[in-house]
Amino acid sequence: MTIVIEVQGLTKRYGAHLAVDDVGFTVTEGEIFGILGVNGAGKTTTVECLQGLRRPDGGRMRVLGLDPRTAGSQLRALVGSQLQDSALPDRLRVEEAVLLFGDGDRRSADRLLETWNLTGLRRSSFASLSGGQRQRLFIALALLNAPRVVFFDELTQGLDPLARSDVWRAIREVRDRGTTVVLVTHFMDEAEALCDRVTVMRGGRVVDAGTPAELIARHARVTTVTFTPPVSFDPATLPGLPGVDRVERQGEQIRVIGTNQLIAPVCASVLGDDHLGPPDLRVHHPDLEDALIALVSDPDTDRRHDPASGRTLEGVS
Amino acid sequence: MRSLLRLAATELKLFVREPMVLTFVFAFPVLTVLILGGVFDEDDPNFEGAIPSDYYVAAYIGVVIAAIGLVMLPVHLASYRERGVLRRFDVSRYPRWALPAAWIIVAMVITFVAVAVLLVTGHLVYGLPEPDDLLGVVIGTVLGALAFISIGIALGMALPSARSAQGLGMLLFFPFFLLGGAGPPPDAMGDPLSSIANVVPLTHVIRSIQEPWLDLDSPTVHLAVLAGLVVLATTAWVTVSARTAE
Repeated sequence: MTIVIEVQGLTKRYGAHLAVDDVGFTVTEGEIFGILGVNGAGKTTTVECLQGLRRPDGGRMRVLGLDPRTAGSQLRALVGSQLQDSALPDRLRVEEAVLLFGDGDRRSADRLLETWNLTGLRRSSFASLSGGQRQRLFIALALLNAPRVVFFDELTQGLDPLARSDVWRAIREVRDRGTTVVLVTHFMDEAEALCDRVTVMRGGRVVDAGTPAELIARHARVTTVTFTPPVSFDPATLPGLPGVDRVERQGEQIRVIGTNQLIAPVCASVLGDDHLGPPDLRVHHPDLEDALIALVSDPDTDRRHDPASGRTLEGVS
Repeated sequence: MRSLLRLAATELKLFVREPMVLTFVFAFPVLTVLILGGVFDEDDPNFEGAIPSDYYVAAYIGVVIAAIGLVMLPVHLASYRERGVLRRFDVSRYPRWALPAAWIIVAMVITFVAVAVLLVTGHLVYGLPEPDDLLGVVIGTVLGALAFISIGIALGMALPSARSAQGLGMLLFFPFFLLGGAGPPPDAMGDPLSSIANVVPLTHVIRSIQEPWLDLDSPTVHLAVLAGLVVLATTAWVTVSARTAE
């Protein structure tokens, strides 16, 4: 697989604050790569270095084989970006923006407006657009001029759930057409739904990397089953079932906690003679959000961090 | 080159859609020249022998230039920085110099249109004298505009927000306007005020236009000051924009 982005030992300092500390990862062609972490983890700074918006204090970066520090203008023709905290002039109209940042060809501008459902807004000024409409426009602008790599920073910030799932579908289409996507996000459902591989940052460092499934398997093994037991049910049988670690009571409800082995036996045990289970029976599988919370709240992650991670993590792909 | 022209055309539209620009750059100078041109008697001795309305028309070309350089450009540019529009341009295929280059083109176009409006109005109302040295007037206008456009870009690049740009812009604009030659006639000012007036950059713009127009004096010193300002302000904004790239 072709490597599209390569980062080793990336470091960026703001005064005394080390915003990015020895970060390394590789992104291969045609994948959706997620950079995850809570606010202040250094995700945006990392991506800004790759976009040539910031000059790192140390480390090696290659985007499509070019160094963003020296080949910025060459890269801008090959890379698309949707930025956090950016805007367009208030009085700029949607159509004008697409013509301005594109190649000026009216037909390709029309096509893009069509794809992103912006045709009806072509004469609207940027100031009059809603949050979701602005975000759609920014995504459209990032995809102008057929980039080989696109960076999306907090892609679905401010979008309603419907707009969000539309955007997710569109991002998969972008990937399926062969464009490599780098996604910065703190929404774990988004990363789980979209990303082929992710890297998790905390306090400027990479704490782990892999596919979402690998991260979940490593850091979030806890499955829970909750339900309100029928009157005839005897909870004393639960602790003996396979996979069960412990059983908690929350008011009327019972919560069974353990590994995912417990799901079938626990659910079977609450099945009544009428073959109906409790109506509020819920199974919670471990997800990427659990993994992230475990990763960023674990006081040991910092100590576990291997300074050579920039190099070892390359093997993950 | 074509994309630079497209950028300039888009920026021109954006400036023209800004009501403050229309007020300050087009309406204000015209209104004031009409009022001041009518205030003084034709043989008022305070105008170095010139007829007041003639004197003020040349001065108000300077006011247009100052309004563009001290108010229009800084407010527009600082709001671009503040709102993240500059960042959006930084990741576009436009090179870093494209936006300032477009602003210089746009500000020049607006200057010439506003000056034309001013001259036509002045001519219709008071009748303008034939310029003594037309080429000198054009050189003075172009160099003066370039100096204030460079100052405007430097201010816009350095100031953190549109509000601060507006505040500082107004704070500079009004003393420049009153002391630079568009307010009370210089011969009516006392010595201390005239010496302050001599260091105000706008004085040199207005003198560079007035002197060849009305054949008062040689504008060489004023033109040299303006050329110095162009170099200084251009160096300033190039430095500031390189620093913000960090």
